[in-house]
Amino acid sequence: MIHSLFLVNASGDIFLEKHWKSVVSRSVCDYFFEAQERATEPENVPPVIPTPHHYLISVLRHRIYFVAVIQSEVPPLFVIEFLHRVVDTFQDYFGVCTEAAIKDNVVVVYELLEEMLDNGFPLATESNILKELIKPPTILRTMVNTITGSTNVGEQLPTGQLSVVPWRRTGVKYTNNEAYFDVVEEIDAIIDKSGSTITAEIQGVIDACVKLTGMPDLTLSFMNPRLLDDVSFHPCVRFKRWEAERILSFIPPDGNFRLLSYHVSSQNLVAIPVYVKHNITFREGSSQGRFDLTLGPKQTMGKAVESVLVSSQLPRGVLNTNLNPSQGTYTFDPVTKLLTWDVGKINPQKLPSLKGSMSLQAGASKPDENPTINIQFKIQQMAISGLKVNRLDMYGEKYKPFKGIKYMTKAGKFQVRT
Amino acid sequence: MPYLGSEDMVRELRRALSNPNVQSDHLRYRNTILKVVRAMSQGVDVSGLFSEMVKACATVDVVQKKLVYVFLCSYASLNPELSLLVINTLRKDCQDPNPMVRSLALRNMTNLRLPSLVEYVEQPLTAGLRDRAACVRRVAVLGWAKLHKLQASSDIDAAVVNELYSLLRDPDPVVMVNCLRALEEILKEEGGVAINKPIAHHLLNRLKECDVWGQCEVLKILERYRPQSEDELFDILSLLDPSLLSPHPPVMAATLSLFLSLCSGLPAASLSALERVRGPLLAACGSASREMRFTALCHIQLLLRSLPGLMGAHYKRFFCGYAEPAYIKQRKMQLLVELVNDENVALVLDELKGYCTDVNTDTAQAAISAIGRIGRSYSDRCLEILTGLLGLKQEHITSAVVQTVRDLVWVCPQCSEAVCLALEGCEETVQDSQGRQALLWLLGVYGERVSSAPYVLEVFIDGLRSEVSPGVKMELLTATMRLFLCRPAETQDMLGRLLHYCIEEETDMCVRDQALFYYRLLHCGIEETRKVLQGRRSDPSLGVLIGRPAEPVNQWARSFNTLEPLKQSAAETESTSGGSPEPVTSVPRPNTDLSLSSLSPSPVDKPPNGVALCFLLLGALEKAEEEDYVCMEEHVHCPAPPRCSPQSLQAALQLVNVQTLAFTPPQTLPWRVYLYTHTRNTHRSTLILGELLYTGEERVKKQPRDDTALKGFLSILATVLHTLSSERA
Repeated sequence: MIHSLFLVNASGDIFLEKHWKSVVSRSVCDYFFEAQERATEPENVPPVIPTPHHYLISVLRHRIYFVAVIQSEVPPLFVIEFLHRVVDTFQDYFGVCTEAAIKDNVVVVYELLEEMLDNGFPLATESNILKELIKPPTILRTMVNTITGSTNVGEQLPTGQLSVVPWRRTGVKYTNNEAYFDVVEEIDAIIDKSGSTITAEIQGVIDACVKLTGMPDLTLSFMNPRLLDDVSFHPCVRFKRWEAERILSFIPPDGNFRLLSYHVSSQNLVAIPVYVKHNITFREGSSQGRFDLTLGPKQTMGKAVESVLVSSQLPRGVLNTNLNPSQGTYTFDPVTKLLTWDVGKINPQKLPSLKGSMSLQAGASKPDENPTINIQFKIQQMAISGLKVNRLDMYGEKYKPFKGIKYMTKAGKFQVRT
Repeated sequence: MPYLGSEDMVRELRRALSNPNVQSDHLRYRNTILKVVRAMSQGVDVSGLFSEMVKACATVDVVQKKLVYVFLCSYASLNPELSLLVINTLRKDCQDPNPMVRSLALRNMTNLRLPSLVEYVEQPLTAGLRDRAACVRRVAVLGWAKLHKLQASSDIDAAVVNELYSLLRDPDPVVMVNCLRALEEILKEEGGVAINKPIAHHLLNRLKECDVWGQCEVLKILERYRPQSEDELFDILSLLDPSLLSPHPPVMAATLSLFLSLCSGLPAASLSALERVRGPLLAACGSASREMRFTALCHIQLLLRSLPGLMGAHYKRFFCGYAEPAYIKQRKMQLLVELVNDENVALVLDELKGYCTDVNTDTAQAAISAIGRIGRSYSDRCLEILTGLLGLKQEHITSAVVQTVRDLVWVCPQCSEAVCLALEGCEETVQDSQGRQALLWLLGVYGERVSSAPYVLEVFIDGLRSEVSPGVKMELLTATMRLFLCRPAETQDMLGRLLHYCIEEETDMCVRDQALFYYRLLHCGIEETRKVLQGRRSDPSLGVLIGRPAEPVNQWARSFNTLEPLKQSAAETESTSGGSPEPVTSVPRPNTDLSLSSLSPSPVDKPPNGVALCFLLLGALEKAEEEDYVCMEEHVHCPAPPRCSPQSLQAALQLVNVQTLAFTPPQTLPWRVYLYTHTRNTHRSTLILGELLYTGEERVKKQPRDDTALKGFLSILATVLHTLSSERA
């Protein structure tokens, strides 16, 4: 299915290749480089490139292209999902997935790729199982390994592969039994000039960290399960039970995993947690422009809006800016014309603002369009959709586990047009 | 990238590898091997170390083994003789008590891919199939597929195939899926795995146990199975139903694909399946991965062909984000065009207007042509936006607007007033050849209403020598001729100069031929010229059907979840980013391969008047693309014109794969319908363009080029008309 994999960096060098069937010459990537050259931005390279004998399906993550070479017709979603899984695994193993990290750990990378695919078919992709086969490198382990001569490779057959429940290994033991759940919501929104919402939707996930002894059977119920539109579950969740009773019932994998991801669309009214007052004007004929931006919280149920970061790509004609932030720091890069303002926390009593003037290229005509403002923020202790976990129960084991639930809201692609 | 000093490096490594001190200290030994592998991954040619590495293979250290295997598998094909030495170690490892070591040895044995080693590999592979540990069986099963590929010519051992079939019942789900994969490859020539009822049900029941990848594979292979009874079919469908809402888009897509193939005889069931996947598909459109979003968008486009209303309420999901890549934006715009209705048109147009000034020129042009498409049903609003864009005086925007407007006025002649007003001054901004061609066409056709038209053309004629594009020259000829007919006094002189230059000095044959043709045409008299050049304009009473009727699901079900829907976009982006945007076809139909450019309102005056003359015109203009055009008139006998609604006629024609382009309203005389169809044989395809004209008698004009196709078309058409009129009678 997947013939070969090439890792290409942004400057167009192949820095790793792996072949699962016969060796495909590097020259096949020329078609990819051609498309890369033609694309103005790195992310504009089309994901599927047909060549006379192959298809190249690529995924761009962390400024690295993962290019899969395919020889026959395949379901594209399958390959794309698999490539993302590869990247996720690398990230999981090395903390970051950069060219340097991959080069440093080239041996582990080869081992992983070898285990993940055999003859082009996915073999072991569950991080639980992979980690038993190949232990992730840590500083401590590397040191221990160099001293004792032990290895990153598990000597035993991973037990998970033989257990009745494929995602959980048997014989798990912990002294502290704990189950933590993080409800993380990202709000994607486009707000128009006048402040009304064009689109808004929430992508939510519940990530779990479960360290429980034995084979626990958990149920999790929500206060308002109807809120969730499109839900997708970890394979461990019993879907029938959810459909009938709207209760999540599952035997959890051991360790970290994503229990479910969901999506709340604009059908259910989405609350927008921040508002922006802006006044960005360019006058015809003058070489000055006004820039005036104020942020404020809105519908946050009293929770503080933190880690606010505003960025905006100013028009090409702007030479420099002379702005005055009421709090935080701002930078303007005159080359890329990128304005970033690190606001920090919004104090509802004293709203942060950024005011001042922009100097424009003399004689140039007024820019056609006003810049779009991107905002990042975080709100702790609140899920903006209003989703709340009701209770968590455990069956099948005798001990009392420690349970915890955390909520957080983040800005995803949050844009304000001016 | 072998860099300087690679030879020194190899020498150094060889010395280290053969040093007995290093060999005795297994930590140092392993580190040296690690260096070799690292050098290999950097592209240094370390194949010279093969024999040293073979020796390093005999060790109890699993990591060292793995490293050596990585090396051996890459260079084995260069050293088939030396590779023989490894086999012994590998075979010994296959007896190891640790299943990890056994599976590792087995996998690498098959990964060496040396035909000369096949005889040594077969025995351990057979043993591997019966191993206690599932992980060894997994590897062994796939090993047979690899082995088969090495000696594809030789016959398949029936015993092995039987064994693989029986392993489909293996308790380990991965072994089961691997068996399917291996059998698919081994039995490729016989059409893959044979799926009978027990196997199909066995696979369905165990679907849940497989991982995501396995599920996809099983679902795909099950598409081959045909249930024997209706009850069985519904059992399978209800078993599959939960997978339609699977969290993993690949599984969801594979399930839907299986659903569609199972329900090919039950349109209602497949439509309800499409409704079911709306949620998951929309969720995939919002996924964090761009590539996933893109693929989901492409598949939604397919779905909309059968259920145009499917995403109606969700049109806002297809608004573009600021930082999205161009290929996603373009797809989203195509989708927005499909989703426009009376309620959301204002919002959608506002949104598209914002994209027209995008930094990326391809995106901007795509947005403009999207507005043009919407303009066919909401012409006033769109024209306002388009003419507003001309004010920006941006080269690429103006060019795209002019092309869009050209396509628009052909379909909606009532907009021509506004267009004529807007054209003034465009010639300074439009630079590329496609844009200028469109501008010239507009000036030629509406020359009498654009006061500055002769002066614009004069500038073009004066600059003729430096003009490179033959397309522009030909368009210029036609435009000047047309203008000459309505404003002879101002144009006569420049037409003379133009014709002189083109006939005497031009080197491009097409341009010269066309000039000669016009020259001779003028000799025939002004009336004759007028008849040819001003052939027929589009008819203001023609109403274009915008929402095309739903296609049956079966038309596209086969291409669902394949690369097909994505491929097209790749071709499109290529053509647009290549610098010269293709003329927008008037009826973009995602799956018609035939170039429809001959249908676009561009230079060709569609339904021609004089047969011989027209042939010449078309031949000259369309050059290499379609050489043999034939025009003819045929009578279709039909008792009475069908007095049914346009929609039902369209639906009826669509059943026989005839597409309708435009209609006059019913009850008008002459009543006409423009239609087209294409047939595809093994080696060539025919496009038939037809005009159905009723003036009291029925007849069809069309431009076919092979007789059998024409006859077939006529008989089908007659049947449809008969059926329709008898229904009404």
